[in-house]
Amino acid sequence: MGDEHDKLLPVANVGRIMKRVLPPTAKISKEAKETIQECASEFISFVTGEASDKCQKENRKTVNGDDICWALGSLGFDDYSQAIVRYLHKHREFERDRASAAAHFKP
Amino acid sequence: MRQAGTYSRILSGGGISGRTGPHLLPLARIKKIMKKSSVDVKMISGEAPLVFSKACELFIVELTKRSWNMTIQGKRRTIHKEDIASAVATTDVFDFLVDLVHPNASQHVDLNEDYAP
Repeated sequence: MGDEHDKLLPVANVGRIMKRVLPPTAKISKEAKETIQECASEFISFVTGEASDKCQKENRKTVNGDDICWALGSLGFDDYSQAIVRYLHKHREFERDRASAAAHFKP
Repeated sequence: MRQAGTYSRILSGGGISGRTGPHLLPLARIKKIMKKSSVDVKMISGEAPLVFSKACELFIVELTKRSWNMTIQGKRRTIHKEDIASAVATTDVFDFLVDLVHPNASQHVDLNEDYAP
């Protein structure tokens, strides 16, 4: 296994996301799937770098979610923001429900 | 009994993979990739990998759709690396991927020098 796989998102997850937007008869070559994997990692590095630069300029040590959102906008990916905001809200609701379920559960 | 069922369903997330919760992509892996992007990235807050889990999904979706358009134009049904390269070449926001999909084997080109914002 080693270092290489640590730098990439799992090919199974990437493949699943791809299949959801393709017609059922579409096929993806192994090389194409690996290329998309690499592009996704490059995307993360690229956006993180931009966010990290901003944090450095502002003398902050921690890169947070808002920094990533800002970097996405700065690099031309602002059409992703609405979906991300909705996703964050759903996640916070999920965490809240989970916390309250744990609080109410009586063994 | 009813309560226990609700509890375990919330825990499993109801998403595609129980282990990663309701997210499609593993947050720990995303965090690793973020850290490797630069020595300057020291601390990452909890929500940053979460934002990326959605952003990466959207990115993969867009790149896949555009690549598939190239596949169809070539009257094929299998996406190949060349289709991804074509999609990258025709999409401005994907400029940062040009070197990745068209690696120049004969000489190393430093894109940072040529890039004009």
